[in-house]
Amino acid sequence: MTIAARALTVAPTRVVRERRRPWFLVVPALTLVVVFFVVPYANLLVMSFFMPGKAEPYDAIPTFGNYTSALGDSFQWWILWRTLKLGFLTTLFTLILGYPLAYNLAHAGSKVKGMLMVLLLSPLLVGVVIRSFGWMVLLADNGLINSLVKHWGLAPHGLKLMYNEFGVLVGTVHIYLPFMVLSLSGALENIPPDLELAARSLGASSTKAFWRIVFPLSLPGVFAGCLLVFVLAVSSYVIPVLLGGFKVITTPLLVVQTAVDVHNWPGAAAQAVILFAASLACIGLYFKLMNRAMRGLSA
Amino acid sequence: MSAITLRGLTKRFGSVVAVDDLHLDVQDGELMALLGPSGCGKTTTLRAIAGFELPDAGDIDFGDHRVTNLPPERRNIGMVFQNYALFPHMTVAQNVAFGLEMRREQALAIRSRVATTLAKVQLTGLEGRYPRQLSGGQQQRAALARALVVAPDVLLLDEPLANLDAKLREEMRFYVRSLQQEVGITTIYVTHDQAEAMVIADRIAVMFNGRIHQLAAPQEIYHRPHTWMVAEFVGLTNFIEGKVVSQEDQLLVVDTALGTLRCGGLAPGADAKTERLMAVRPEAIQLSGRSGGGVSGDVPGPRGADPAMNRLQGVVRARAFLGNLVDYRVEVASGVVLRVQGDPHAPFAVGDSVNVAFQPRSTWSVPAREERVC
Repeated sequence: MTIAARALTVAPTRVVRERRRPWFLVVPALTLVVVFFVVPYANLLVMSFFMPGKAEPYDAIPTFGNYTSALGDSFQWWILWRTLKLGFLTTLFTLILGYPLAYNLAHAGSKVKGMLMVLLLSPLLVGVVIRSFGWMVLLADNGLINSLVKHWGLAPHGLKLMYNEFGVLVGTVHIYLPFMVLSLSGALENIPPDLELAARSLGASSTKAFWRIVFPLSLPGVFAGCLLVFVLAVSSYVIPVLLGGFKVITTPLLVVQTAVDVHNWPGAAAQAVILFAASLACIGLYFKLMNRAMRGLSA
Repeated sequence: MSAITLRGLTKRFGSVVAVDDLHLDVQDGELMALLGPSGCGKTTTLRAIAGFELPDAGDIDFGDHRVTNLPPERRNIGMVFQNYALFPHMTVAQNVAFGLEMRREQALAIRSRVATTLAKVQLTGLEGRYPRQLSGGQQQRAALARALVVAPDVLLLDEPLANLDAKLREEMRFYVRSLQQEVGITTIYVTHDQAEAMVIADRIAVMFNGRIHQLAAPQEIYHRPHTWMVAEFVGLTNFIEGKVVSQEDQLLVVDTALGTLRCGGLAPGADAKTERLMAVRPEAIQLSGRSGGGVSGDVPGPRGADPAMNRLQGVVRARAFLGNLVDYRVEVASGVVLRVQGDPHAPFAVGDSVNVAFQPRSTWSVPAREERVC
């Protein structure tokens, strides 16, 4: 009764306040988004429905040919599958590696937390290219790891650590880990520590308290982190190029090859749109699963 | 149900001693309040009893069962937190059922016990609500239900009413007390609110700096404080410094800046200093009119002319009407102001000259500030 009454009295003032909100303040940001995001994407979408041109990027002849040839090509399907698979595996491993890290970060004292934060974020200060080169030094056939392995006689011919999916995965997991940890630690910090203690006082072991209380309440962070890492991993270009050495072709690589090497801009545009649609489908499915998981746990 | 015994409990955080060699016996079925200002070690003591903090020294027993090194989940406690710590992703019923699930009870038994307990705290009908959909008082009762449903050996309450508004807090004091009596559970109640402790507790342990200054029934704490810190923390007190000069008819005769006064209090031992602080409660002081010049020294108080009565003269400097009483500040010597609380119908105004009188037996003296225990 009282809540309903309060809602009634509050509602009109809120409407008034919203009407007075200075909407024109969003214009600069909106302009930026439209000019640098919406227009290029729209251009890409339009381009994908025209014939490839000889002199121009495309001729003004509308066609579905770019899509029929891309979708009819089993190689491209396979590449797309690998791209999504690498994205999924990157997400999974960053989650598994990042969760304990985030948990400790969220529970650390303020001094330690500052230091851990610097450690976590410092790799972001170095570019992706440099960091990938760093991994190449470690993973190459005659790199640090292999020379140790050979020295100890563990594998006389060395291990194949690079120029394969494993190498790419190592790179993406390392480079996108901070994004996962930041999302997770934000969510974990918002969980009052008393909740865990309350569970313990009611007879839950620390393991049970974690799975019944802490983990479910951290799901929004898991959700956000996975989404972020998946999107970044699926669209990454530099890491597969350097650590995959053009032996691990993913859709972004294929798009660039088609556009730059083959000079088939509309074909590349169609491939990009297909990747976009596929990612969107994955994310949609993920949203659905996550919503179900969170409905079971919250409301 | 079981008694709680603390023996030499000590907990340090770095160089800070939060709990200092604490000894405490809580009787079976008793409600003991740990009262003190923030940082006095009361919450640390409670958390050590709950098992959230491992003590650096000392032992904790529940009955004849040593729990010092047991993790919280094996102590069979019920705990209510200041912010209730209800699980936000679970309904009221799921929250209350949690402890029973952890004890692997049958689903059917869980359902009936949850229903009984929710009925006991008058939350029937709200089983399906989430904590955020409850009012503060309802959340509080849900937290109590969750703690009590598992039939714990001891109930630990950490400032359970601190987040409620003043009116509800007052109601809930009586409610928590009657619930505790009904269940008959040994309870430790941590609070910084002296009124709350007085209303709710069988005995109060007043803590400062990790030590118990006094452990006694509320009346005893209020009327016969052991230290000036207890006297100052519990209720309002006027302190009058003085020196014990003699003892007379179970009263101490104290030489003060206001003249020779008589007061109650434990006689200081032969080797103890004789510096004392007289603690006079504002409501123990009576004012009477001195208008028209009157006959000096004659106090027509309600008790008549008692020769042992402490008598002073003063001037009303401030007056505050509080509804059920009037709070005066009366200057009895230059710079010495006593707070006096009394009848709201009393006629004194600021600037009035008044006779000030208080019974020696309604005062108490404590060791002077220099002798502080901590």
